[in-house]
Amino acid sequence: MKHLSRFAFADRKGMTLLILTSLLIGASVIGQSYYFVAIVDRIFLGQQSLQDVLPLFAGLFLVLAGRTLFTWLNGKTGIRLASKAKEHYRHRLIEKMSRQSISTSVTGRSGQKVSVLMDSVDELDGYFSRYIPQMIQTLIIPVMILAVVFSAHLYSGLIMVITAPFIPMFMAIIGVMTKKKSEDQMEKLSAFSGQFLDTLQGLVTLKLFNRSHRQQEEIESSSLGFKTATMEVLKVAFVSSLMLEFISMLSIGLIALEIAIRLVVYESVSFFTAFFILILAPEFYLTLKEFGSAFHTGRGASGASKQLEETLNEEDHSLVWGDQRLTYEQPPALSLRAVQFQYEEGFALDPVSVDIPAGSHLAVVGKSGSGKTTLLNIFSGLLPPSSGDVDVNGRPLYSYKETDWFNGVSYISQHPYLFSGTIAENMAIGVPGASREETARAAEKAGLSQLLETLEDGLDTSIGEGGRGLSGGEKQRIALARAFLKKPSVILFDEPTTGLDVKTETVLQRSIQELSEAATMITVAHRLHTIQAADQILVLDEGRAVGTGTHEQLKAELPLYRQMVTMQKGGEGA
Amino acid sequence: MKDLKEVVRLVTLEKKDILLSILFGFLAGLSAVGLFASSGYLISKAALLPPLYALTVLIAFLKLFGFARALGRYAERYFSHRATFSILSHLRVTFYKRLEPTAPRLFQKYRSGDLLARIVGDVESLQNFFLRVYYPPVVLVIIFLGTIVFTSIFSLPVAVVLLLGLVVTGLVIPAWYSVKQRKSSRFVRESRGQLSTEATEFIYGFRDLKIHQQLSEKQEMLQQASHLYLQQQEKDSREMLASHSWNTFVTLMVSWVVLGLGAFLVSSGDLNGLFLAMLVMISLTVFENAAPMAVLPAHLEDSRRASARLFSLVDEEKTENGTKEMDASHAPSIRMENVSWRFPEEPRQALTDVSFSIPAGSKTAIVGASGSGKSTIFQLLLKFHAADAGVVKVGGEDIRTLDEESLWAHTNVMLQENHFFFGTIRDNLSMANEGATEEQQQAALASTGLSFSLDKQVLEKGENLSGGEKQRLAAARVFLKGKRLWLLDEPTSSVDTLTERSIYDRLFRQAQDDTVILISHRLNGLEKMDQIIVMEDGEIQESGSYEDLMSRRGLFYEMKQIEQTILA
Ligand SMILES: Nc1ncnc2c1ncn2[C@@H]1O[C@H](COP(=O)(O)OP(=O)(O)OP(=O)(O)O)[C@@H](O)[C@H]1O
Ligand SMILES: Nc1ncnc2c1ncn2[C@@H]1O[C@H](COP(=O)(O)OP(=O)(O)OP(=O)(O)O)[C@@H](O)[C@H]1O
Ligand SMILES: [Mg+2]
Ligand SMILES: [Mg+2]
Repeated sequence: MKHLSRFAFADRKGMTLLILTSLLIGASVIGQSYYFVAIVDRIFLGQQSLQDVLPLFAGLFLVLAGRTLFTWLNGKTGIRLASKAKEHYRHRLIEKMSRQSISTSVTGRSGQKVSVLMDSVDELDGYFSRYIPQMIQTLIIPVMILAVVFSAHLYSGLIMVITAPFIPMFMAIIGVMTKKKSEDQMEKLSAFSGQFLDTLQGLVTLKLFNRSHRQQEEIESSSLGFKTATMEVLKVAFVSSLMLEFISMLSIGLIALEIAIRLVVYESVSFFTAFFILILAPEFYLTLKEFGSAFHTGRGASGASKQLEETLNEEDHSLVWGDQRLTYEQPPALSLRAVQFQYEEGFALDPVSVDIPAGSHLAVVGKSGSGKTTLLNIFSGLLPPSSGDVDVNGRPLYSYKETDWFNGVSYISQHPYLFSGTIAENMAIGVPGASREETARAAEKAGLSQLLETLEDGLDTSIGEGGRGLSGGEKQRIALARAFLKKPSVILFDEPTTGLDVKTETVLQRSIQELSEAATMITVAHRLHTIQAADQILVLDEGRAVGTGTHEQLKAELPLYRQMVTMQKGGEGA
Repeated sequence: MKDLKEVVRLVTLEKKDILLSILFGFLAGLSAVGLFASSGYLISKAALLPPLYALTVLIAFLKLFGFARALGRYAERYFSHRATFSILSHLRVTFYKRLEPTAPRLFQKYRSGDLLARIVGDVESLQNFFLRVYYPPVVLVIIFLGTIVFTSIFSLPVAVVLLLGLVVTGLVIPAWYSVKQRKSSRFVRESRGQLSTEATEFIYGFRDLKIHQQLSEKQEMLQQASHLYLQQQEKDSREMLASHSWNTFVTLMVSWVVLGLGAFLVSSGDLNGLFLAMLVMISLTVFENAAPMAVLPAHLEDSRRASARLFSLVDEEKTENGTKEMDASHAPSIRMENVSWRFPEEPRQALTDVSFSIPAGSKTAIVGASGSGKSTIFQLLLKFHAADAGVVKVGGEDIRTLDEESLWAHTNVMLQENHFFFGTIRDNLSMANEGATEEQQQAALASTGLSFSLDKQVLEKGENLSGGEKQRLAAARVFLKGKRLWLLDEPTSSVDTLTERSIYDRLFRQAQDDTVILISHRLNGLEKMDQIIVMEDGEIQESGSYEDLMSRRGLFYEMKQIEQTILA
């Protein structure tokens, strides 16, 4: 919450404007009351004619116009301030999001993250556009009114001074009471988003397991839960405004009574003063009451502010890259020196050391879950090793410039993501400015020509979310085409030919072979035949590197490898 | 207005709360007028030095009005908000119900972030529909009518001025603003959807963006989307503020005129000066109720857009759902007779004249090139789409007469991509079979070679599992489901041969008497299948037993040859 007010007060210009307009509003409120009372007084008691009071009418008009104008200006400043604040926080969130490391990026729920970016930031609006301006008004206008009342009639002023503090005191108590509740409310909303997005992604699965109805009930119950949480907060807000109403009513009543008695019994005040005070008193309490409701709006931001703060302060070990330049006249040589890795919980990769000479091909094999993908992530620079070093051309990988490194790398992960866009755009990601011909040629290498021919828009067919559906193998090939278009110096492929039939696979193997001629390549494969020709094969077993060598060597030396090979040929897989 | 039809329907469900809100809103508004009127009268009366008891009565009135106003306001807020949040929860459920049937093709039409923006943001924004559009005008009109009648007792001209004021603040200014709004295009809802969509894709595609060094570009895009959204919001707020300010100004002017008119009437002797203060106070107060009218057009337009976004989901050509339950006691037979299917808006048929017959309890493999229509066959068998031509039969029944939920309930399906939900391994397993004991769950995991604890945390989309582990978890899930029809789409494409072997062992043990259809790219091991269907370009190229196909020397033989050479 503190950081919000700090942000607001840092905006000097906005603050000055708010203070200035508040002063002017205060002045017009007093002026308005004065003219109203003066006119009624002269007409009613003074028996003057309309002509006599015309100047007063002109004055009243100006004051009323002024009040509207200044209120408008004040509101506008608040809106501007809120916009700036939202922009600031959203900007920081987006920056934070793009700086996060891969391991953080998979934790938490996506919907929840989106909700923080959207709803929590939007929730700040009320704090800046209502709470802050109202707070400043409350610091200024009541004091001005009080000064006037004091100068007009001491006792009424005293009543105001005595009763007014009840209002902020009361609000403070209620504010403490609702803090927790409003935080709950915000959390419920983002939890709902998190769950809904997950549900959407798995809707087909849910249907197949006849869970969709259950999901509907859950949506209903969580939105009812949200309703309850919101009503909890609102109920307190309503009760508190009821209380404020009572306090201000009693106070006004007290003032009225006191004045009436003085007016009637003691005849010690004039009608003018009495009426003047009676009109000013509600304005005095109105500002305080409005602050009460603005206070609740501001409180609503406390849940959001907490979420924002948590998100922005989340620790993240994002990688620090150096600024050593890396050029690719030649494919680089890579090596791992006693590289170790440990996920936050569970799986650990034992120290691995391996040298991959420039332009050679390392294949990584092993049972499912043995750490192949993890190792590839380390090679690619997505996961920093817990200890040990990844070397590129004899220097640590992280001493290079990040963009230089990635410019030369094509990493096709096990589950590549297709973005919403055309096929061509999806292929050209990472290769800005690829020409049409190059794209078409890469598509051909990925075995996509036949598919493209059947598409009316060819390469311009939109795919991904909001686009045409594709078969599993087609998606895989589009992702692979990214590499064919990029022609990288370092190729990292994680099971590039899963989900492809033997014919298509053969075509792709040929293209991959061709591509690897000018690159250092590391592939992960379950289908051992695809890697028999590799210069080196690294066998992983439950996170340990149990052997390195060529196909022939390993077959001769490593029982595990031999078993894998026989099984594959064994013809009794299915 | 047709956009709002559905919302209005949902609003009217809350009849009781609506009536209560109107009632209390009216009560609060009128008491406020009464409060200020009597205080104006009180002070004027006091000026004439009446006996104290007369004032006491007035003061009692004052308190009465005061309490009534405060309580009325409280009750109005309470009931109207309660109604609103019920409406919102109905809206969410209705939206989900609309969304759900489109599931198989959902993401061809919509983007996840956009749908999220709709169910959260658009629904939230519709709270203003009830709170600021639907009932306030009713309250306003009743209060004004009451006040104007009361005022006319004292002075007809003043009553007329109030009426005119009502027309200007309640009709003219809102109408003017709504015309203005129509012209200036506002896209708050759309730009919010845009930002949410981009942000979601950014999160989902984060790894690939990072690998391809597109983060900064996408980040820039996000910042721009965010900026656009803010601009729209700011414009919106500013317009509302302006309309509000004009409204206030007119209101104050009405009081000014009332004062002037009153002064004139008093000085000309047509009005008792005693009532002047009261009339001015009335006019100042009654217009407080007109203030919500200033923001009504903006909220109406916003609600209209939100509602259009919520209910514009195109109704999918719904495959007619049958009512017949599937017979769960036997393994079903499967038939397709001359089935053709074309994806909507596609020039080419995905399946052409496909016919096959799979006897109950037999094991069939479907093989063929990538994109040849294998998975599409499954989609038709699961009633995700209705065939354009031909008949699909499951257990001898035309699939059109079967209840789809019963069909799903009795089929073990592994799709090419399986989804896992954020939660634990247990959560993800028990969705298949709630009755399964911990031991059964553990055993199912073990048969796929997984040794996870049931309490292991699963991240969204199974991101903390390896590719093969995900596939194995999906397999364990269908093992637990244990129905008599199995549709398996490349169930072991990402696991090593050793693990694959143990999965198939368990499968064929459990499914000994069940009907199994398996899509596979690996031809090794298909010897054991009763039937192999070979697909090519959406047609069945050939089918028969392994020996049949090998001796026919057709496409299958050719594929087998290729496999042999690469495996050699
Ligand atoms: N939602 C869709 N809209 C339009 N066309 C589609 C859609 N889904 C698939 N297709 C097309 O239909 C054809 C058959 O797809 P299908 O998914 O059945 O292939 P498949 O045989 O399962 O291939 P794979 O082995 O690659 O999974 C493909 O050409 C594909 O591009
Ligand atoms: N983000 C993560 N957090 C925690 N554990 C993880 C994470 N990602 C993977 N693991 C675990 O690390 C182990 C190795 O995973 P990895 O993806 O490297 O296996 P793999 O050899 O690629 O297997 P597969 O062949 O099945 O893809 C697995 O047991 C997996 O559950
Ligand atoms: Mg892997
Ligand atoms: Mg498929």
